[in-house]
Amino acid sequence: MSATLKPYLTAVRHTLTAAMCLDNFSSQVVERHNKPEVEKEKVLIETSVNSVRISIAVKQADEIEKILCKKFMRFMMMRAENFIVLRRKPIEGMYKHKLVDFVIHFMEEIDKEISEMKLAVNARARIVSEEFLKRF
Amino acid sequence: MILLEINNRVVEETLTLKIKNAQAGLKNESIDITVADFDGVLYHISNLNGDKTKIRTSISLKFYKQLQEHGADDLLKKEYGPYLVTPENGYNVSVLLDLENIPKNWPDFVKKLGLLKRNCFASVFEKYFDFQEKGDEEQNRAVIPYRDDETLYVEAKADRVTVVFSTRFRDEDDVIIGKVFMQELKEGLRASHTAPPVLFSHREPPLELQNTNAKVDNNVGYVTFVLFPRHTARNTRDNTINLIHMFRHYLHYHIKCSKAYIHSRMRAKTSDFLKVLNRARPENKSTDKKTITGRTFIRRD
Amino acid sequence: MDGKLPACVIDVGTGYTKLGFAANKEPQFIIPSAIAIKETAKVGDTTSRRLNKGVEDLDFYIGDEAFDATGYAVKYPVRHGLVEDWDLMEKFLEQCIFKYLRAEPEDHYFLLTEPPLNTPENREYIAEIMFESFNVPGLYIAVQAVLALAASWASRSIEERTLTGIVIDSGDGLCDRKLYKAYSNRWPQHNLFHSVSSTRERDRHPPEQSLETAKAIKEKYCYICPDIAKEFAKYDTDPAKWMKKYEGVNSVTKHPFTVDVGYERFLGPEIFFHPEFSNPDFTIPLSQIVDDVIQNCPIDVRRPLYDNIVLSGGSTMFKDFSRRLQRDIKRTVDARLKLSPKPIDVQVVSHHMQRYAVWFGGSMLASTPEFYTVCHTKEDYEEYGPSICRHNPVFGTMT
Repeated sequence: MSATLKPYLTAVRHTLTAAMCLDNFSSQVVERHNKPEVEKEKVLIETSVNSVRISIAVKQADEIEKILCKKFMRFMMMRAENFIVLRRKPIEGMYKHKLVDFVIHFMEEIDKEISEMKLAVNARARIVSEEFLKRF
Repeated sequence: MILLEINNRVVEETLTLKIKNAQAGLKNESIDITVADFDGVLYHISNLNGDKTKIRTSISLKFYKQLQEHGADDLLKKEYGPYLVTPENGYNVSVLLDLENIPKNWPDFVKKLGLLKRNCFASVFEKYFDFQEKGDEEQNRAVIPYRDDETLYVEAKADRVTVVFSTRFRDEDDVIIGKVFMQELKEGLRASHTAPPVLFSHREPPLELQNTNAKVDNNVGYVTFVLFPRHTARNTRDNTINLIHMFRHYLHYHIKCSKAYIHSRMRAKTSDFLKVLNRARPENKSTDKKTITGRTFIRRD
Repeated sequence: MDGKLPACVIDVGTGYTKLGFAANKEPQFIIPSAIAIKETAKVGDTTSRRLNKGVEDLDFYIGDEAFDATGYAVKYPVRHGLVEDWDLMEKFLEQCIFKYLRAEPEDHYFLLTEPPLNTPENREYIAEIMFESFNVPGLYIAVQAVLALAASWASRSIEERTLTGIVIDSGDGLCDRKLYKAYSNRWPQHNLFHSVSSTRERDRHPPEQSLETAKAIKEKYCYICPDIAKEFAKYDTDPAKWMKKYEGVNSVTKHPFTVDVGYERFLGPEIFFHPEFSNPDFTIPLSQIVDDVIQNCPIDVRRPLYDNIVLSGGSTMFKDFSRRLQRDIKRTVDARLKLSPKPIDVQVVSHHMQRYAVWFGGSMLASTPEFYTVCHTKEDYEEYGPSICRHNPVFGTMT
């Protein structure tokens, strides 16, 4: 994780902890819109009476990261049914700190995974090219 | 499997089975099989005039006319000689196997038939390799439309043969993955000193093809191989042809495999995310069992 | 190029995969649905363990080659007709297409098969693989039982061609479990599992060849008899005429061996009609199952179902299988319907494409011009996503 990412994620964690006041917790400090931002990454956290919507912008530095990100999002969206946070009816008694952990984990991993996938595709391309050429 | 095979399994296995059955004295059954191969090639294996002992293997290539201009007929005559028969209607080349007169070295014969497509392709390379050997620079460039809107160009100079593939990516995302692959091919020379230099250009055809009707399109890529005498020499050219005539499919096969690999990574990561998320879910304490109609099932014990 | 090149028809079954090009009578390849991969012993779950940095994921074998590969673990991506491991399935298809069929998937339409109770999600996953990884221009996912019904059309006149029928599909070889599927084109199918063991030989022969030997014996000598007691008597009075000897060669030592085949000739296949012979847990004969299944269907389709009982798969190839089944069902039906004003016709359809009926049905369907109009296309996929494949048009009237 880059040094700049750390305070960003910490900010997200705090904001989320405050924003997820869906359990009976009253607060006068929570604001409605919270937008921590680091360079290209940003998160939009919108709270309402019975839900919190978290929109995450994932870093896409070049063409290949862009298509990997697109593929990954489409892949997960197809399996959205399995993600219990995406639902019409709330689940009673979800553990808030674990939910925050999940969002943070997701944000940490998604960048890492996309750059790892990119490296892997490059590595494959290199091996495949060399395998072909060295047979001449 | 990293390299694709160059022989056709269906043709080999079908003929081997036929020959073995005939040798074992089993009754010959009629046969009628049509199969495809890369580059829109079709094979048809059938009985000649309904005679169950005569097996005719025919191949059709859409660009056979162009190959013929470059001596395909002569090369095939050299390879298959007495087994060639008048091409079947709708096909370009037919080879006949007589089960009452099985060639002694039939495993070689079957293997050769499995390479029918490769040998058709080989003619154009052989011809230009010969031009290069003789130092004949006067020849026009060969243009083989090996697939719909994908073309192969071969040109001979005294010191080299240039082979250019144009290839089309059907999917927008493939263009990007394809570019990564072509970039690595260009740099592949570092890996091997014997490899031919490779150039690539995306969208625009390379310089030597400008002013021809080579396509300019965002989904088109051009890959150029520069083959030197060490690749076109008599003892190495077979290997060179084996590799280069499959190049287009090699590239596209590996783009597809990369996407399959990306899929398995995404499957792994998605299940990892789910694992973390499910930790936030309270454990379901209630052990209510519902019947199919939605009524609660109560155990009385 | 589309439309001109034949479509690829791939029927991935639990035990064997049948693949080939449309319009042929038989599949070009029949290979075990097995895949041999290298697994490293690192910790972590299977999915993350398989991930690699290079191209190790291309190092695998499928089909018969999977069993010959040493140092690899052999896996089956399909269990009970349903895909269990999608990573392996995707790889399996990779080699089916590029190594066996030698097809550029961008140039061919594809017909894949699914079992009757496949989930919509599975259909989406297969669409995701075919359209995204392989860029196929068109895909059709056909229900195996429907293809088996279509395959039986070859033996019927045009007016008699119907998609209402009941399919008895019993695979060959590897899998001891036989799956009987009943299917009508308007009501959900009933799916019964029925475990029977194949003709196992008790005689001495190389254990590693036991399956192979059993298979050869099954295909060569076994048949269905009308009455076991009489059959026993027949064998006892004239053993020389009925007892057979199977001669094989040990694949390792090259020594020939023989296996005596006696009562097994009719006792083996008899498990279809007397399953308790091999496993006391199963006592319902096949004819009874078929009858029950039809009785569970709505009353107005029962007659057409009785009239079109279609056999499919290698294990239904026993001599006189259809005749015996038809007789047994007919007896049950007649006993029940003594008062019926109009007798019910029972017809068990046996035809010469029976062994690979599902594949043949697929091959037939995929060679018609209509096939290209019912396929889901890549354009549709890009416009609407994998959900286009959720729905199976055959069950259209159900929803």
